Amino acid sequence: MRYHRPNLDVLAHTILIIGALIFMLPVVLAVLASTQTPGALFSGTLPLWFGGSGLEHYLTLLSEPVRGVGVPAWQLMLNSLLMALGIAIGKLVFAILAAYALVFFRFPFRRCCFWLIFVTLMLPIEVRIVPTYGVVADLGLLDSYPGLVLPLIASATATFLFRQFFMTLPPELMEAARVDGAGPWRFFIDILLPLSRTNIAALFVIMFIYGWNQYLWPLVAMSSADHATVVMSLKRLTISMDGTPPWHLATAMTVLALLPPVVVIVLMQRWFIKGLVDTEK
Amino acid sequence: MARLELRRLRKRYSGSTDVLHDIDLSIDDGEMIVVVGPSGCGKSTLLRMVAGLEAISSGELVIDGECVNDQEPAERDIAMVFQNYALYPHMSVFDNLAYSLKNRGTPKAEIAQRVEATAQLLDIGALLERKPRQLSGGQRQRVAMGRAVIRKPRVFLFDEPLSNLDASLRVQMRQEIRALQQRLNITSLYVTHDQTEAMTMADRLVVMNAGRVEQVGTPMALFRKPATRFVAGFIGSPAMNFLTFSVNTLPDWLPRVPAETNEPLKGELSVGIRPEHIALTTLEDGHIEGCIELVEPLGSESLVHVRIGGHDARLVVRHGGMELPEVGQVTGLNFQGPFHLFDRHGQRLSTRLRLADTNCSMES
Amino acid sequence: MAPQLLIVLVFFFWPAITALRQSLYVQDAFGLGETFAGLANFTRVLASQSYHEALFNTAIFSVSVALGAMGIALLLATMADRVLRASRVYRTLLIWPYAVAPAAAGVLWMFMFDPTLGVLSRALAALGVHWDFRLNGHQAMALVIIAAIWQQMSYNFVFFLAGLQGIPASLLEAAAIDGAGPWRRFWTITFPLISPTSFFLLVMNTIYAFFDTFGTIDTTTSGGPGGATRTLVYKLYQDGIVGLDLGGSAAQSVLLMLMVGLLTLVQFRYVERRVQYH
Repeated sequence: MRYHRPNLDVLAHTILIIGALIFMLPVVLAVLASTQTPGALFSGTLPLWFGGSGLEHYLTLLSEPVRGVGVPAWQLMLNSLLMALGIAIGKLVFAILAAYALVFFRFPFRRCCFWLIFVTLMLPIEVRIVPTYGVVADLGLLDSYPGLVLPLIASATATFLFRQFFMTLPPELMEAARVDGAGPWRFFIDILLPLSRTNIAALFVIMFIYGWNQYLWPLVAMSSADHATVVMSLKRLTISMDGTPPWHLATAMTVLALLPPVVVIVLMQRWFIKGLVDTEK
Repeated sequence: MARLELRRLRKRYSGSTDVLHDIDLSIDDGEMIVVVGPSGCGKSTLLRMVAGLEAISSGELVIDGECVNDQEPAERDIAMVFQNYALYPHMSVFDNLAYSLKNRGTPKAEIAQRVEATAQLLDIGALLERKPRQLSGGQRQRVAMGRAVIRKPRVFLFDEPLSNLDASLRVQMRQEIRALQQRLNITSLYVTHDQTEAMTMADRLVVMNAGRVEQVGTPMALFRKPATRFVAGFIGSPAMNFLTFSVNTLPDWLPRVPAETNEPLKGELSVGIRPEHIALTTLEDGHIEGCIELVEPLGSESLVHVRIGGHDARLVVRHGGMELPEVGQVTGLNFQGPFHLFDRHGQRLSTRLRLADTNCSMES
Repeated sequence: MAPQLLIVLVFFFWPAITALRQSLYVQDAFGLGETFAGLANFTRVLASQSYHEALFNTAIFSVSVALGAMGIALLLATMADRVLRASRVYRTLLIWPYAVAPAAAGVLWMFMFDPTLGVLSRALAALGVHWDFRLNGHQAMALVIIAAIWQQMSYNFVFFLAGLQGIPASLLEAAAIDGAGPWRRFWTITFPLISPTSFFLLVMNTIYAFFDTFGTIDTTTSGGPGGATRTLVYKLYQDGIVGLDLGGSAAQSVLLMLMVGLLTLVQFRYVERRVQYH
């Protein structure tokens, strides 16, 4: 199908390379800026190469309390990691069990449950932020890890992906397992879980990124520095009274905030693509 | 080894009519019963009810004198070969074979030894480490067989196990399955829509149509004396020809039979004649004449399709001659019997009307 | 099953119902009592100038982000689909912005556009454009739009590339034999065939622009200057969390839920239709 049109190929490569460079530019500039000494940065020279500070700003951020936050960045990163893992694992566990029940069991109100979960699919937490805050406050979960994670588990994307996947499995597989003497739980452990490995990996990537990048909910519900995350703390370094933020720190902090999910997505690209494209079906 | 009895089995899905009506069947120890019928006739549902994968709406399923209606599939001690094999894709052949034994808590040493023996039996010893996706269709079929055999179940169930194979492999596998079943002497219920497969494999055949059993019997009995027009048309290839007559205008060539009944024949009759019982002949010698529409040479014989003017029917004739008749030619047809007569409800007349034995040409 | 339902009920339906209830009540200034107000909250919200502005901002923002992110993604995906072998390399080079938090994306572009230090603002100054998004509302909007497009493009790229690679080669071969050049083939064959993907992405991009970009806006412009980048969600946050206007924010929540519900419905109908294709 690909026709021999060398000119078009050259054009395609050119456009793609320019595109890739433009998309990389902001991060490259941020990385370069984060290594500049404040003096060099604010004197107005363009940060076109690594500056004199090296990793100094990163070490400062990680070891000393971050301005306006009160805890060092390693604590923020740890909180982010806990939140991201909590959300990713929580969603996966609930989703796979719910999808298993929805697909393989007949029970009363099955359709109703399906709809309950479906409706949550597209109603992001931002819409219900105020009343959710009220509910979490009533439960006494403000400024706690469960309060950080639980409201974000209540979403249905993962359930749908698993449901979709389970429905592609031939029903004979479960019947064969029944004939072979495997009960529902054994079937789940022996057959369904091993078969879902790639889906689990794919969803883990997506959910980890989703969890790590949460902004509004931690901002609203985690007022104490002990539970602050790195993404929600970014703003502390970008607002400033005199107009120009401490960019040497802000860029370093941004790099810290984007590094873990970007590493995850690049390393696990194959699963990520699969998971992303499959959710659409 | 077991006797299997189906007593007035019925299947009804909520809110709809019955899909199976009062199925009665008794299967002897070691017998191979093939259930055959068109798609949607309920044969697979019947098999799945026996397996315990579908609930029984009413009636009794009895294995060795014990009613197993409420038992789980695994408790019934049956094994099933699925149409798509349903091999566990993430397990090796060894694990696929061993799975049911593991679930039963069989000791490891015994599992290994039984897998070994089964693999040898089915000639899949070299494949034990492979995953199902690395196997060919025929090999998967063997593994599926092995998974059933290894358990030494009381009953084998086969759900169209050969329909995913290509034609030549199908012929080979049906012979192997039959040989294996006879060797192990395990009571078997085999479902297929392919009448050749059914004829060649069965001790006894069950022909089903629209949720009912049409007839039960040995392949030859069903071929020679189909109880209904449906069975007559379903068993035998190429299929039986039918001509329809009003009782008042029965043709001269159809032998008259004195009926020992008070009930006079009414309405229309179907006369069935197998393609091998019709001969092409000259116009003068023929019982009837028609125009040749299509000739299908098969080598040793040919199938000649003849359009019969007055009946708006097309008859298929099995023609043994080496020279082929020409399309468009008008030919005479000679009916040589036996004839199969069916009333307007499709029931065989000889059974309903108790025809006299004196005229044997009615009967096969 | 049960725990998932419980969480859905507690953290989703309870808040949703609370919002519905609160939207019908007016709280007194001290949060001590409340009185039933019927649809007063809704009429108040719908009549307010600032809600209109937020609605307008959201519309501009969403349309720009959806069109920009989809247009660029389609262009790049078409190119990547052409250079078959290298497409995976380009995919790796282009998908990672998806993993960047919207808030972080905001900071990155804010740095690029920093009025005194930013690379782009200096380039603009060289062109004679005075750039300060802290003072100029249009420039602030442009900043958040660009940051959002940058972040969302990779998502669209993945889907467009998958969609393009799913088009049977024989169709394009047939078109080529019928004498259609690359340009024509794209508009008469490829484009119609990926329209389901485009439609799906349109809905997803709208939802992204509505909600996920909160972080982008908050870290960069905080809705300013003068409310120029205050979208519906941002206003909801400001009124509800910062301003503690429970009734008003609840009414906004309900209105937003209706909008998303509508989008969900459209999406679902589309999903149903797609299922029938298969």
